[in-house]
Amino acid sequence: MVAPILEFRNIFKSFAMTAALSDMSLAVVPGEIHAIVGENGAGKSTLIKIMTGVYQPDSGEILHEGKPVTIRNTYGAQALGVAAIYQEPMVFPDLDVAENIFISHRNLGAFMNWSKLYQSSDELIARLGVTLDVRRAASGLTLAEQQTVEIARALSLNVKVLIMDEPTASLSAHEVERLLSIAKALKARSVAVLYISHRLDEIFRIADRVTVLRDGKHISTKPIADVTHDGMVKDMVGRALDKFATKTRANEHGALLLSVKNLALDGVFRNVSFDLHKGEVLCFAGLIGSRRTDVGLALFGIAPATQGRIELDGQSVTISTPQQAMERGIAYVSEDRRKLGLAMTLPIYANISLPSLKKFLRRLGIIDRSAENAMAESYRERLSIRSPDVKIDVGKLSGGNQQKVMLAKWLETKPRLLIFDEPTRGVDVGAKAEVHNIIRDLAKQGVAVLVISSDLPEVMALADRVLVMREGEQKGIFDISDCSQERVIALATGQDAEASAA
Amino acid sequence: MLAKLKSWEGLLLLILIVTVLVNAAIVPQFLTMQNQINLFQLSIEKIIVALAMTFIIINAEIDLSVASIMGLAACTFGVLVENGTPAGIAIMLCLILGVLAGAFNAFWIAYVKIPSLVVTLAMLIMYRGIARVLLEDRGINGFPQWFGDLGQKAFLGPFPLGLFIFLVLLVVLGLVLHRTGFGREVYVIGTSAEVARFSGVRVARVKTILFILSGVVSALAGLLYAGRLASVRGDAASGFELDIITMVLLGGVSIFGGRGSIIGVLFSILIVLNLRNGMALMNITGHIQTAVIGVLLIMSVLGPNLAERTKSLGSGKATA
Amino acid sequence: MIKSFRRLHPQTLRILALAIVLMLTILFFASQIDGYLSPRMINRIATSVAVILPIAIGQAMVVMSRNIDLSVGSVVGIAAYLIGDYLGTHPDIHPLLVVVMALGLGAFCGAINGALVAYGRVPSIIVTLGTLALFRTYLVEYSGARSITTSALPQWLVDLPQMTIFSIGSFDMRLTVAMSLVAAIVFWVALSRLRVARKLYAVGSNPDAAVVAGINSSLVVFTSFVLSGMLAGLAGFIFLAKFGNITVVAGLGFELKSVAAVVVGGVNIFGGSGSILGVVLGTVLVDTIDNSLTRWAIVSEFWRDALLGMLIMIAVATDTFMTRSFGRMKGKSE
Repeated sequence: MVAPILEFRNIFKSFAMTAALSDMSLAVVPGEIHAIVGENGAGKSTLIKIMTGVYQPDSGEILHEGKPVTIRNTYGAQALGVAAIYQEPMVFPDLDVAENIFISHRNLGAFMNWSKLYQSSDELIARLGVTLDVRRAASGLTLAEQQTVEIARALSLNVKVLIMDEPTASLSAHEVERLLSIAKALKARSVAVLYISHRLDEIFRIADRVTVLRDGKHISTKPIADVTHDGMVKDMVGRALDKFATKTRANEHGALLLSVKNLALDGVFRNVSFDLHKGEVLCFAGLIGSRRTDVGLALFGIAPATQGRIELDGQSVTISTPQQAMERGIAYVSEDRRKLGLAMTLPIYANISLPSLKKFLRRLGIIDRSAENAMAESYRERLSIRSPDVKIDVGKLSGGNQQKVMLAKWLETKPRLLIFDEPTRGVDVGAKAEVHNIIRDLAKQGVAVLVISSDLPEVMALADRVLVMREGEQKGIFDISDCSQERVIALATGQDAEASAA
Repeated sequence: MLAKLKSWEGLLLLILIVTVLVNAAIVPQFLTMQNQINLFQLSIEKIIVALAMTFIIINAEIDLSVASIMGLAACTFGVLVENGTPAGIAIMLCLILGVLAGAFNAFWIAYVKIPSLVVTLAMLIMYRGIARVLLEDRGINGFPQWFGDLGQKAFLGPFPLGLFIFLVLLVVLGLVLHRTGFGREVYVIGTSAEVARFSGVRVARVKTILFILSGVVSALAGLLYAGRLASVRGDAASGFELDIITMVLLGGVSIFGGRGSIIGVLFSILIVLNLRNGMALMNITGHIQTAVIGVLLIMSVLGPNLAERTKSLGSGKATA
Repeated sequence: MIKSFRRLHPQTLRILALAIVLMLTILFFASQIDGYLSPRMINRIATSVAVILPIAIGQAMVVMSRNIDLSVGSVVGIAAYLIGDYLGTHPDIHPLLVVVMALGLGAFCGAINGALVAYGRVPSIIVTLGTLALFRTYLVEYSGARSITTSALPQWLVDLPQMTIFSIGSFDMRLTVAMSLVAAIVFWVALSRLRVARKLYAVGSNPDAAVVAGINSSLVVFTSFVLSGMLAGLAGFIFLAKFGNITVVAGLGFELKSVAAVVVGGVNIFGGSGSILGVVLGTVLVDTIDNSLTRWAIVSEFWRDALLGMLIMIAVATDTFMTRSFGRMKGKSE
């Protein structure tokens, strides 16, 4: 085997009291795509941040081409030829593409030579096999184009180790293809690619070796040929995954609650039509970026639709603010807990009572604190939110418990229609099952539930009916009894269209 | 978070006690009732506006135009009275002017969504400019006797009207901020305006109310200022925004919003007043007093920052 | 040609628009004020711009890095007064050294701001509101209520404002104006051509990305404050030369005027974009309005501040609407 370019030996790193990495050893080899998998919190991002000099290890050794090194900061990492691209690309919107690519260079002379800069950028972009106007300001680029800029930036620095952290999470199907081919091209140029992804199918397609992390520990590193899908998952979760029971038949449901006809928002989504009954679970499936969330936001009045009709109980309604949506019994549980879901520095009770605060107001708008507290306590018990009391800041809870607080917050509004966006993202396996049970209970009580999920097994376990979207368009809606993972994937990725075209 | 706040407020209380003790030890007349009332009276307009500013900053905004609104209200009052408007009606009109000025700020901030720093900086210049247009470079005095008395003399017991208004506002606004649903919404918006919007909070409305509150309270304070000095000039209350913001930030209100309490601001007001009073009694000039307040302002943010950094460095070492 | 027009950066459009507004303003005042377009008026505005322009350039760099420097007016005061005072006792010191001292004094004040913002992590608005008061207090205390008068200054400095490098007709290119323009050109070239200077745009454009790209953001922010202080020091020197009589209120209010010039000049208040050319036009526009109002019989000169405030608001609002509709256009095309 070729000598490793970068090697971790017995690295330990902890924050406050929790160990993020313990006894981590890993060797990165040139000309290889090395996949790293693990659940959220397994230590992947800590590992990357140590490689790029953002964090310093508490103990252990880092070897670069066999020599011990200390990576003090991003610049130090660059000097060793280590660069990273992230799920959310780091570009400078006010600078043009060429300048974005060469921003980290220090030995190009004191003055900008714009024509030379454009020429070299053009060459770099061409080497990646893509077309991109290097004179454009980066503010107008799509996510995929921004990633291309970042990869070109890494290439321009003569990168030897390129870390790709969930690069495909927000890309459309053909953008994913392009990214994977870029990764292969880098490999052919003897770059070591560290590929971090939740999408196991991608890993089987491009990786040479796979390393599994769990709870900050190195579990296994194997050539891809020796790995099976189930074995990898077992390594990740530490046991064979209890497969969620796949639903084969829809549950009984009540009367029609919501009827959506030809809903569209200019330039975002179009042609969305479905019915939703009381006690029914409808799942929106599709790839990330297929605009499912935007449909949810339109129903909740955040970004109202520009065309089409929404009928509630058979009556046409307009929903143009969240307040109007909430008055009609609609709740929306966001996929982005941190930015849109919870006020992290406020206590649990204040977060739960927020949308239904009116209920707890007494004379002169004074909050009835004991009633508020009792309500929050009841949810802590009912949803088994693990926290000593409800006065703790939600930011201090684990992801799963935060998710339950967010759910409690909306359950307290007693919704008739609950829109649940990525209900189990960043939630561990145990909490996942709990959240699923809560959703099933709600449906049993007659709440209409609309789940937006990118997790197919989750869709198969929860849905009575499935609606598939691709690139802003509804591609199909069918009963769970007619549904299979293969059929959803075909619709979501557009393989059906290709197949029929061919 | 609660413990942290408590310790900040505890620290303020400690500083306050030390300031009072030192002042009392050095200056014999310090603890007399009259000196204590004077101490409030000399900055009464600023501390009243500081209460409204507390809401604005907890809401993660800032209002740099308060002193200009104070000046504008005072000058408008002067011009109205000079032209024969009864003082009572002039007072009402000036308060309405304060509402309008606040609403104008709010329109740009809450609905057009331009940062409050920029909007109120422009309005600081513009409102002050209008005050200058009104009075050019002359002063107006000759207000009705009762108006001057309200600003200067005891109104209720030994308390002048201004102090009375401050105490009432302190209690009322304290209750609103810490006990009502509206106060809760102010904190949530300050923590994350997006989370608030996604929870059905009418963010723009809350911000509008706060800037109108700030405008009307500033106008009221401007009138008190006119009464206290029994005259107005175009530069009335100019530069007060610095002192006002300092009092609020020193009180533990985070410039990034979402954190702070009325009690903390009260403590910091008392500290600032006592410091100024003590320095004045020790014959230290107003400019040096302002400088000391300026240093306090920077320290009130720098201190916790440095403490946090050394703490995190310490914990890093401990685990190594 | 058409292709290059299509590619016009919004920033370029912005500068074109600004130039047109400036032209219209001048035409308007020319129609209102007799003898407005005289060399005398141009000289008057040019010498007035000479004081503000360096401050505005410094302010622009600070704003581009997502900060604000409200202490510049006090720095101008300190530089003008201290240098004037020093010259009273050391009249023989070389003029160049005097300029260097003014720059150094300003840079020192700027370094205090920069250290607190970049390394102390205190928001710039708080730091510079504080130092705005602190620097001024220092000046008041130092002066002991004395003023600097022309009689105490060396003759070369008294003559400096009248010093003309060349004349076009009866328009004289004053040395002070030239100094200011040279500063503008130096920074214009530096910001667009110097590789190091591009980091300023990077940090203002996306601070997180700047860290990832290995840029030392703290150093960039610190430097922008030092430069801002240094340029305020230069403005202080020009101020001293122009007026000769310096009181402790020298430079009062310049912070707002410089922010106005920068915002009107198209520097994005959220950082990351802006050009020195725009700042020059913005400064000239703000100062033209300022100086012309004092000559305009119909409206009292006290309207200056009120109009300045409105002008800032209009500039920011236009910017906001332009950026948003531009964003929408882009959103639709994709």
